[in-house]
Amino acid sequence: MARVEYAEVSKRFPTQDREAVDHLSLDIADGEFLVLVGPSGCGKTTALRMLAGLEYPDRGDILIDGRSVIRLEPKDRDVALVFQSYALYPHMSVRDNIQYPLRVRQLSAAERLSKVEQVADLLGIRHLLPRRPAQLSGGEQQRVALARAIVREPRVFLMDEPLSNLDAKLRTHTRTELKALQKQLGVTTIFVTHDQAEAMTMGDRIAVLDAGRLQQLGTPDNVYQRPANLFVAQFIGSPPMNIVDARRDGEALVLTGGWRVDAPRGVAGSDGIKVGLRPEAIDLERAPAFGAQPAEVLVSEPLGSEVIVNVKLGDVLLKVRTGPDVRPDPGTRVFLRARPDGVRVFDASSGAALN
Amino acid sequence: MTTRAASQVARTATAPRGASWIETLAAHIVFVLVVVFFLVPFVWLFTSAFDADAVAYIRLPAQPTLNNFVRIFTEHDFARAMANSVLVAGSTMVLDVVAVSLAGYSLSRLDWRFKSSITYAVLLLQTMPLSATMVPIYGLARALGLRNSYAGLILIHAAIELPFLIWLMKNFFDNVPRYLEEAAWLDGRSKLRALVEVVLPVARNGIGVVAGLSFLAAWAEVLMMIILIDSQDLKTVPLAFYETLRTQGGYVEVQYGLVAAMGVLYALPVMALFLVTRRMMVRGLVASSRGL
Repeated sequence: MARVEYAEVSKRFPTQDREAVDHLSLDIADGEFLVLVGPSGCGKTTALRMLAGLEYPDRGDILIDGRSVIRLEPKDRDVALVFQSYALYPHMSVRDNIQYPLRVRQLSAAERLSKVEQVADLLGIRHLLPRRPAQLSGGEQQRVALARAIVREPRVFLMDEPLSNLDAKLRTHTRTELKALQKQLGVTTIFVTHDQAEAMTMGDRIAVLDAGRLQQLGTPDNVYQRPANLFVAQFIGSPPMNIVDARRDGEALVLTGGWRVDAPRGVAGSDGIKVGLRPEAIDLERAPAFGAQPAEVLVSEPLGSEVIVNVKLGDVLLKVRTGPDVRPDPGTRVFLRARPDGVRVFDASSGAALN
Repeated sequence: MTTRAASQVARTATAPRGASWIETLAAHIVFVLVVVFFLVPFVWLFTSAFDADAVAYIRLPAQPTLNNFVRIFTEHDFARAMANSVLVAGSTMVLDVVAVSLAGYSLSRLDWRFKSSITYAVLLLQTMPLSATMVPIYGLARALGLRNSYAGLILIHAAIELPFLIWLMKNFFDNVPRYLEEAAWLDGRSKLRALVEVVLPVARNGIGVVAGLSFLAAWAEVLMMIILIDSQDLKTVPLAFYETLRTQGGYVEVQYGLVAAMGVLYALPVMALFLVTRRMMVRGLVASSRGL
């Protein structure tokens, strides 16, 4: 168990024209579950691999429990990494895979046996112990990889998209299990994913990266409700936040299509701004009402527990989240109202949030 | 329209089969001829080895006998030659496997200056005909006292095959996923131990191919044996063979029965080796051709 710090870490690969990781600073508390999330090529895996010792930073420092680890070999860092492809040793049985790190630490056979069985029971894979990795399903391989990481009781768990090779149903199930397991073990965990839903559901905090730079660090709620910039606003959330060009008119913001919404307090910008509205920050009404903006329904997408109604406002397409019983037909005229606390304003050129 | 198209497809599909039975027959005749062409020497070898007075053409032994085999062991010290060959080829194999594993790994995985130039230089070495370097090798071997020694035979045979085998093994290592080795490092292993415990076992088909090819090369090589050995004690099978074949300028008659008996015993060990390891060899060679 340990505290992990990235201090102004940068790394550029010789074949690339920009930094893969650019001045990354993070402070991860002991026992925390931190998710690094971003699109592919954003530097999240590189950041993880630098902590594991598989890549070397050009600048900056990485510390575990206050001690710099960048000069240590991977074997001396006491961190365990679960690879996207699981990296099970194909020539060893599941039992030998799991006890490999214990063998390295020269534990006695009896100790190894008891630890392997303990962790196999924890993950429900005792019956797989005599098999070879090739005889296992993807989900089973994933558990074995997890068992191999857990059995050695490392200071930090690193996970590089460990769920991305599982089918959708198993992925959701494993997500829950993994989070519960991490809380039970209390080991500091850094989890890399490109899936924002995974990030939102699993992380104590999430760090959003893009083009090597940290865009925002915060709790899932914080990042979702108050995205620091347009990138985060559109990357986190499904469907993503609606972003509409706007201009200021006194106390109101006028969105493309003529929709007037009240400007949130303390927003300074006047020109070149964009307004962000989460799909659930828009109320959809059937009857005209004062201040409600008329719009036309393009299509409704029922999802069982909710319906995403796509409406056209001028030439802008907005997605509105409604209850399961609201299913207006295409072409229906509806009226939109923005929730005052859901209006986010961004600077159009820098993308930074203004409120 | 659709039916016509379908019937056209059907006609095209059956065309090669129905084209003509003459073509099929011709193809089979060619196959048979080729097979016969390659089998004839073996047929001669096996019939002559058991023939008391074998001749230079194929005929069934009038009275099958094992006498040729008895004579090569009693009169020509063939046991010694076999032992020497096994020792030289076996040691060459071990040395090559160790050297090639390390060199192939380095070219495949490690980063160092001039790596790509050196990688291609290694390949260039392979294009050099052995007969062109025969004289300097002889000179070197003499200067270093490596003539008429097992060490000399083993070192030189191991070296001859190195460039090709290094390339082959580099290719096998290229196909071992990097993350397996990284997992071993993170599990606490040093780079060398991870190579031995994870990378080599995963690349075992490659090791098998390298071992098989280096054994075979050293087993079958003649030229270097001739220029490096003139001691009777160090004589290997190719030399015993060569001696038996020599006609001393026409003064001695070639004893075909003995030559054939030696040939059979010379071929059997490598054929047995191939049969035992064939699955590994085929898998390995297929894998390497996919990578190259």
